[in-house]
Amino acid sequence: MAKTMHKLWNYKWLYIMLVPVVLYFVIFKYIPMYGLVMAFKDYNVFKGISGSQWVGFDIFRKIFSNQNFWNSIRNTFLLNLLTLAISFPFTIIVALMLNEVVSGKFKKVIQSILYLPHFISWVVVASIVVNLFSQNGGTINLFLSKMGLSSIPFLSNNGWWVFTYVISNVWKEIGWGTIIYLAALTGVDETLYEASYLDGASKFQRLIYITLPAIKSVIVVMLILQISKMMTIGLDAPLLVGNKKVMEVSEVISTYTYRMGIEQAKYSESTAIGLFQSVVNIVILFLADKFAKLIGEEGIL
Amino acid sequence: MKNKLSIGRVINGVLLVVLTFVCLYPFLNVIAYSLSGYNAVLTGNVTVLPKDFCLDAYRDILAKKQIWQAMKTTVFVTVVGTTVSMLLTIFAAYTLSRKDLVGRKFVTGLILFTMYFGGGLLPTFLVVKNVGLYDSLGALFIPNAINVFNFIVMRTFFKSLPPSLEEAARIDGASYIQVLLKIILPLSLPIIATIGLFYAVEYWNSYFNALLYITTPEKYTLQLRLRSLLFGGELNSTANLEGGGSMVLSQSLKMATVAVSTLPILVVYPWLQKYFVKGVMVGSVKG
Repeated sequence: MAKTMHKLWNYKWLYIMLVPVVLYFVIFKYIPMYGLVMAFKDYNVFKGISGSQWVGFDIFRKIFSNQNFWNSIRNTFLLNLLTLAISFPFTIIVALMLNEVVSGKFKKVIQSILYLPHFISWVVVASIVVNLFSQNGGTINLFLSKMGLSSIPFLSNNGWWVFTYVISNVWKEIGWGTIIYLAALTGVDETLYEASYLDGASKFQRLIYITLPAIKSVIVVMLILQISKMMTIGLDAPLLVGNKKVMEVSEVISTYTYRMGIEQAKYSESTAIGLFQSVVNIVILFLADKFAKLIGEEGIL
Repeated sequence: MKNKLSIGRVINGVLLVVLTFVCLYPFLNVIAYSLSGYNAVLTGNVTVLPKDFCLDAYRDILAKKQIWQAMKTTVFVTVVGTTVSMLLTIFAAYTLSRKDLVGRKFVTGLILFTMYFGGGLLPTFLVVKNVGLYDSLGALFIPNAINVFNFIVMRTFFKSLPPSLEEAARIDGASYIQVLLKIILPLSLPIIATIGLFYAVEYWNSYFNALLYITTPEKYTLQLRLRSLLFGGELNSTANLEGGGSMVLSQSLKMATVAVSTLPILVVYPWLQKYFVKGVMVGSVKG
């Protein structure tokens, strides 16, 4: 006992450092978790969380019967899936291309530029998107009309808006995404390439039989990780690039939660949607982790 | 064999240059617009090079008091926020990287759990309101001061440092604070630069927290101000730009605003770039 006390005293500075950290997590992460009970109550601003009346699963019944809710889920999946379908293979291809570059300086410049969009805010990206894609004076449509072609409603037609959303996401994150693959590629054993070269393997054969198998596990883990995030979507992109005309496809879970909770002050509903999303997320994550282990990869949890 | 200039290599290089240009084009377009004369923009045709080169847009935008005010707010939030975040993240990573600290596992679990589960938007909003941060600049950095991913990256790095260094200092009678300041931190400059950049960019670019918590226009951050200048304040209104709303501000003025608000990132970016790739790789090794 005395020894433990002595040890604790020894650590007093460490514990003092830990106090603000724990306080932060308790106040801003754990107390909000208590707030989740709002999903099972009819929240009343004047009565507060504890004073409001319990209503069981009534709130959930209400949101599940709302078509807008299911739309937002469909849109979340749709936008995530399309973005993944384009960006996932494309990222790997760009990483492989970068890996082939011999000149270190050339590679550095290219990489620097490709990483850049990752650091730009969505407000700026949205304004760039409008500048390029707007039907009224956007650079692309001006170019099309110069060529005598009709303009394209990139921002106001549902289908075209999804296209624009996916393109801007891919543009923003593709370079940044290559980092992890480039790290894996530097680990490929150089002697394998030399041996295959001597055996007369073509460039393409080397890619198929050496490079890809070497980074296979990274690819698989990244794919599982991405799929496990299918229900999560950033709020900034759909909110800022979206607009009223394309609400049918641009309203995702995060923006719906925001509109419900902050704009319409339906606290209980918004909380319930958030809780539903969190629970689904955890289920997907566990399944993905199980699956990763099942196929012999390291888990993702 | 590596130095042979094959056709495949040339094609690869050309494709990469094209890709890089596509990636860079939107930026060039913005800059070209911002440097073009108001009338040249109306007739269209601005692509990579400015037309009727002039600095009017920059002069006009820098004459706007709101822009300077928003700039000041954002600089404040970025500097103070990054400092607070770095302190807390270093505290958490340092204390929890020590294998012998009693209660370490519990606190680490407490932190990691928040990666997978949380109260969500509204409950968090209510807490921020109840602790009195609503409509204060503190709301822009205190409620998300520690990024768990950054914490993991830093803890992984601290764990990789040789323990013998610290033991030697401890035997010489150094306190834990001294060990942190004199031994750990000087060895961790690359990771500190990386995480610092991540936090600073996060704060500089952050828009949603300001939208949620700030109501007084004088406290608007740059991103929020930018949004209301560009899209007329109303949310969800890129559609407005299809109509007459866009005439309120000329295109070159808008693009100059975009350029001004992005410039600080472009300035620090090349200096820190050599660090962050390494930082991201450390992060990809699970903690």
